[in-house]
Amino acid sequence: MSTFTPTVARDPGPLTRWFAGAGRRASVTVEHAGGLGSLFWKIVVATVRLRVNFRDVVEQFFIMGIQSVPIVLVTGSLAGIVTSQQGGYQMTSAMPNYILGSLVVQTVVLEMGPVLTAIVLVGRVGARITAELGTMVVSEQIDAYQSLGRDPVELLAAPRVIAGVIVLPLLVAIADAVGIFAGMLAANLTVGLGNEAFLYGARLFWHSWDLLYSLTKALVFGLAIPLISVHMGLRTKGGAEGVGLTTTQAVMFMTLTILILDAMFPPLMLN
Amino acid sequence: MIRYRNVHKAFDYPVLRGVDLRIETGELFALFGPSGTGKSVLLKTTIGLITPDRGDVELDGVSVFFGGKKALADVRCKVGYVFQNAALFDSFNVYDNVCMGIPEAELKALPRVEVARRVWRALELVNLDPSQVMGKIPSELSGGMRKRVGIGRAIVGRPEVLLWDEPTTGLDPINTAAIEQLISRLSDELKVTSLVVTHDIDGGLAISDRVAMLDQGTLRFCGTPDEFRASEDQKVQAFIDRAAAEAALATGSQL
Ligand SMILES: Nc1ncnc2c1ncn2[C@@H]1O[C@H](COP(=O)(O)OP(=O)(O)O)[C@@H](O)[C@H]1O
Ligand SMILES: [Mg+2]
Repeated sequence: MSTFTPTVARDPGPLTRWFAGAGRRASVTVEHAGGLGSLFWKIVVATVRLRVNFRDVVEQFFIMGIQSVPIVLVTGSLAGIVTSQQGGYQMTSAMPNYILGSLVVQTVVLEMGPVLTAIVLVGRVGARITAELGTMVVSEQIDAYQSLGRDPVELLAAPRVIAGVIVLPLLVAIADAVGIFAGMLAANLTVGLGNEAFLYGARLFWHSWDLLYSLTKALVFGLAIPLISVHMGLRTKGGAEGVGLTTTQAVMFMTLTILILDAMFPPLMLN
Repeated sequence: MIRYRNVHKAFDYPVLRGVDLRIETGELFALFGPSGTGKSVLLKTTIGLITPDRGDVELDGVSVFFGGKKALADVRCKVGYVFQNAALFDSFNVYDNVCMGIPEAELKALPRVEVARRVWRALELVNLDPSQVMGKIPSELSGGMRKRVGIGRAIVGRPEVLLWDEPTTGLDPINTAAIEQLISRLSDELKVTSLVVTHDIDGGLAISDRVAMLDQGTLRFCGTPDEFRASEDQKVQAFIDRAAAEAALATGSQL
């Protein structure tokens, strides 16, 4: 026999409430970090032990990569055009105009290419993975895999993460290339900067590791997006509503992570 | 032998509050209980899909939760699980779904023809026409057919133990009878240990060696079908009456 005793909660005051809230957020953060770390480790182990099906990776590569090329072409060229126009406005007559070439190339390769491509992939790939795995959780398909002695990390998580790590650098390389090209065209049209001058300016400030920097960012984002989306998808609770909720949370989580990681790059790598 | 020892599990509130139960090898055991009392949770603890907060489950003397990874893998290999809502893999067709029921090592070792033969046989056993359904994906099947494919997937690996989560809910009377017959046949001929969660009290009492009733997180009753029918326990009687009323209503609505 259990009895229900209603308790009147005393208002703990704003300061206590704030600390309680902060504590809860901190513990959630730690929980997510732990979950992501252990998922990453399991994927590494599965990969090293060759437990990942090559065909699944190819399939995911196709879904994430090939199908994302059109949108990446669009965002990449827009990034180049916008930077070029923006830079063109801010040029003063005291600066040699070929500087614009350097500005566009550096901005596209170091920032816009990787970040915009990653943000696009959060919506196109990340949300899809979370919703897909979330649906599998709520319809007990994940349980079914386990009951049949199969490991969802090997079968579902690893192919997605491996494909992401390969795909994103390739997509960013495409975005960088079309961004530079579109930026060059835009510079020609808006401030009348010739292609030779544009490329001269670009070469003047070009470091060989700029491309490496761009692709390293892409690699890190390419790991973060599928890792977070798989992690969130597998944590889904409740029915269809739960899938919607986790998908939204996953998109927020991925977007913030991309922006924070992006901010951490210059101090870590540009020194 | 499956042995539940003092299994506790709470989600937002306590669901299982100390379940102790022992199911002998080869026994056909039916578990009744109102919706939401944790019957599915109890079944899931058996193969480690849900970890109890307290207590343990043993299968043939091997602890599911303290035996390590290898023990858990062995347990899952020995046990077939029929999910309440079939839980078919949406992106696979029926053939591949059932194929997944064969343990991985066996699947690699067996010749293709033998795999196909076993899948075919499993589908026949659940009263499906293999040539009709094999190439279909789950969304092209009716609920009852999906359920039966799920049963086929659970039995194709020739498990020693079968856990059935409401195998006949949502099936028409003919298929209900076919599945009940299948459950008793597996138990009689192949000596499979079966734990069946069911709402079909008459069917459950007819086929099982022993039954139990789960209520509010503990076993309210455990004994033979005859003892269950004769039980003086008010909760048990109320449950039998309500189930009979529901069954009458269901038959009435079908006429
Ligand atoms: N994974 C889970 N997370 C949270 N709550 C759960 C989970 N699984 C089951 N429950 C809760 O446990 C209770 C018992 O569920 P269940 O075992 O499915 O009941 P039933 O006896 O009808 O099979 C329900 O209230 C359900 O909401
Ligand atoms: Mg249930």
